[in-house]
Amino acid sequence: MLVAENLIKTFPGVRALDGATLRVSPGSVHALLGENGAGKSTLVKVLTGVYQPDGGRITLDGDDLRLTGPMDAQAAGIGVVHQERNLIPAFSVAENISLHHLPHRRGVVDRARMRAEARRCLGLLEVELDPDAPVATLSPAQGQLVEIAKALSLENRVLLLDEPTASLTGDEADHLYAVVRRLRDSGRAVVLVSHKLEEVFAVADTLTVLRDGRSVASGEALAGFSQSRVVDLMVGRAYEQVELARREVNAEAVPALRLADVATAHGHRDVSLEVRPGEILGLYGLVGAGRSELAKAILGLGRITAGTVEVHGKPARIATVGEALRRYRLGYVTEDRKDEGLFLDQQVTRNIAVTVWRRLARLGLVPDRAERRLALDFVGKLDIRISTPRQVAGQLSGGNQQKVSLAKWLAADCDILIVDEPTVGIDVRTKAAFHELIAGLAADGLALLLISSDLPETVALADRIAVMSDLRIAGVLDNDHDYPRMSRQIIRMIHAETHAEAA
Amino acid sequence: MSVATEEGRTESAETVRKPPRIPWWANPRVGLVILLILLIALFTALRPAFLDTKLTLVPLQSDISVYLVVGLAQLMVLSLGHMNMAVGRMAAMSAFVMGLVHDQLGAGLVVSLLLGLIAGGLLGALAGLIISRTGVNSFVVTLAMDFALVGLITILYTSVTDGVAFPTLPAGMDALRFDTFADYCLGDVCGPRIPLVVPFAVAAALLVGLLFRFSRLGREMLMTGANIKAAELSGIPTKNRIVQAHALSGLIAGLAGFLLAANNGAFSASIGGEFLLPSFLAPVLGGTLLAGGAVSVLGTVLGATLTQVIYKGLNLLQFQLDQLQLYIGLVLLAALSLDRARHVIAERRGAKL
Repeated sequence: MLVAENLIKTFPGVRALDGATLRVSPGSVHALLGENGAGKSTLVKVLTGVYQPDGGRITLDGDDLRLTGPMDAQAAGIGVVHQERNLIPAFSVAENISLHHLPHRRGVVDRARMRAEARRCLGLLEVELDPDAPVATLSPAQGQLVEIAKALSLENRVLLLDEPTASLTGDEADHLYAVVRRLRDSGRAVVLVSHKLEEVFAVADTLTVLRDGRSVASGEALAGFSQSRVVDLMVGRAYEQVELARREVNAEAVPALRLADVATAHGHRDVSLEVRPGEILGLYGLVGAGRSELAKAILGLGRITAGTVEVHGKPARIATVGEALRRYRLGYVTEDRKDEGLFLDQQVTRNIAVTVWRRLARLGLVPDRAERRLALDFVGKLDIRISTPRQVAGQLSGGNQQKVSLAKWLAADCDILIVDEPTVGIDVRTKAAFHELIAGLAADGLALLLISSDLPETVALADRIAVMSDLRIAGVLDNDHDYPRMSRQIIRMIHAETHAEAA
Repeated sequence: MSVATEEGRTESAETVRKPPRIPWWANPRVGLVILLILLIALFTALRPAFLDTKLTLVPLQSDISVYLVVGLAQLMVLSLGHMNMAVGRMAAMSAFVMGLVHDQLGAGLVVSLLLGLIAGGLLGALAGLIISRTGVNSFVVTLAMDFALVGLITILYTSVTDGVAFPTLPAGMDALRFDTFADYCLGDVCGPRIPLVVPFAVAAALLVGLLFRFSRLGREMLMTGANIKAAELSGIPTKNRIVQAHALSGLIAGLAGFLLAANNGAFSASIGGEFLLPSFLAPVLGGTLLAGGAVSVLGTVLGATLTQVIYKGLNLLQFQLDQLQLYIGLVLLAALSLDRARHVIAERRGAKL
């Protein structure tokens, strides 16, 4: 029996696990549930030795388990199949399955034994696959099965499956669940992390529900729960009501940004949205629902295959971010500030002024003075803490970096802003300041599309909330800022959607 | 305004971290200057002729000028984090066009130079275009281009000339080769003993410095090199910037080809054959990163100077060519290692470099 008790894991500014407890018995399927950001991934990473907990203890059959790295977890017989693929596409099925313990004879790989091992593991799953086929030629579902086979090859007693059906069709998922039941019947413990409640109820025996890093249910038999009770447990999240000044949005105004029946090369279908000046439209969804990809398609970084995009009532054809900025005054604050939002090795002033060099330049030269004045103006307005204007962006704290990432669009005088996950990885205090800042921008008349996976944040800030699920808009709700009611409605909307998909 | 308000904020939750100053000795430029002084003192002590103006200093200045411009050509694409492996062959093609325009059309110095520079720029732009459209690594693209151009240059020279060089030079090239400002006097006042090619290199260095420091174009190239995704998402036309940086690299390589032709007294097929390694040495010794996003023009000047001083000094000490190369290689390795050691020590002391 695998028991994790009172696990604590703190990241700068965030307590990701705050007394999480998990009990998993052999021969059972255990569901690990929780909202975005509740701590599920962190818990999986602690159990597989990727993170070391700051507190609490893990025991396996009563023995203390110290996991200082993924190898320790493997040695203890804890295997994991991550949501993202970890297979090497150019290698064969057999090579991938035996990757961490290739059978060899005097340094030469014993291919016959490797194939036999692959057949044995695939046989346990009752899967017919050619061990010599390169993984690149497999479907996502087959890839998933190979990953499970790989985990079985390591003789794991506990198997963690993180969102195993995210990329599978209904039939494929059914097959996977048959496999999961077979693993359970062979005496293994399976931990299933999933957003899809239907599936969880179909296959799991016991459950743990995480909320704000704490277990609000741990190890109880699933039979005693109804689906709506589980939803209540998930969303009853600690919620500090931020008192933000109420704004009036002119519902008659011409939308600043309007999408009508937009489809993209990424797979979005029939996306229709409207954001009016002075309005915050929340775009909520699970991670992977396709929200950032939609934003990037609007900016010309992805292809729009059907439908229309209108800016201030006029059709807009946007091919590049530069065009979005100059012709339509539309900016995008990325969710990935380190990779896409900032130039970490460059000065703060340059990071802010980069979008306006074109405007500041005289005869192709950017006057230092004007750049500095403009940048410092926004440093002051957004209260960005810097020691000198020449400081490089990489030395700032996360919150200040995020402000710099936002400042460049304000400097560029945008009147439509797409803000993607603005408060990820930011401590609570700075988060509140950020919320005020965003509300203030809307009060100044900007149209904001707020992409967020943080439900309390979305409900606190948005005037209306669009829920995205599987690359479609599942619905748009008027936000009455009644958190318990809004959150239930939204969660149900997402689950209804995935349910319809599975049927 | 920032200074005035900072004091009052120190009690807030997030304390402002003051970045430690980079110690002066961790600046690669300072190291180069010290190394230069030491080497010049050493060479002078061993061979007083090292300070002989006519024998050493004048040709040294001409050589530094050529290799400074070669380094600047490479610096243009290093700003992107790219490489131009065809820098020498672009110089050669450019020089070929200059010779051809003069030889076949009888054009003068200025016209020949300009058309040659344009040819170099176009070759660079072609490389940049291929890199930005296909996404293939700049190293691979320019390396392939270098191979193609090696063959093309031989073919061109054999079909137009005796196979080695153009027989004539535009009027004025000889002055660039032999004269210094001391040969031009206003009454009794004559200029310093500086060869006429030096102003070309100085002007190139100043323009490139200006480009990266103040111009939107240069800054956007640096931003593209620093983080291409963020540059794209900040509205910078990154593909154009890549093409432009490579075009400028080709153009400046053409200028280096011209200066070498002036020094050698011929537009020949062998121009540019020795450019590749020095083109990296000058910027890299001067502290420019291969990763892109930051360049140092002053460092490139010092780097080019150091390499040529070592070369000249060892030459004067009558080292054989193979020995010469061995020692230059060793000195450069030592210089780079020292530079790295300085960085590590500075980092340990808490400075963020």
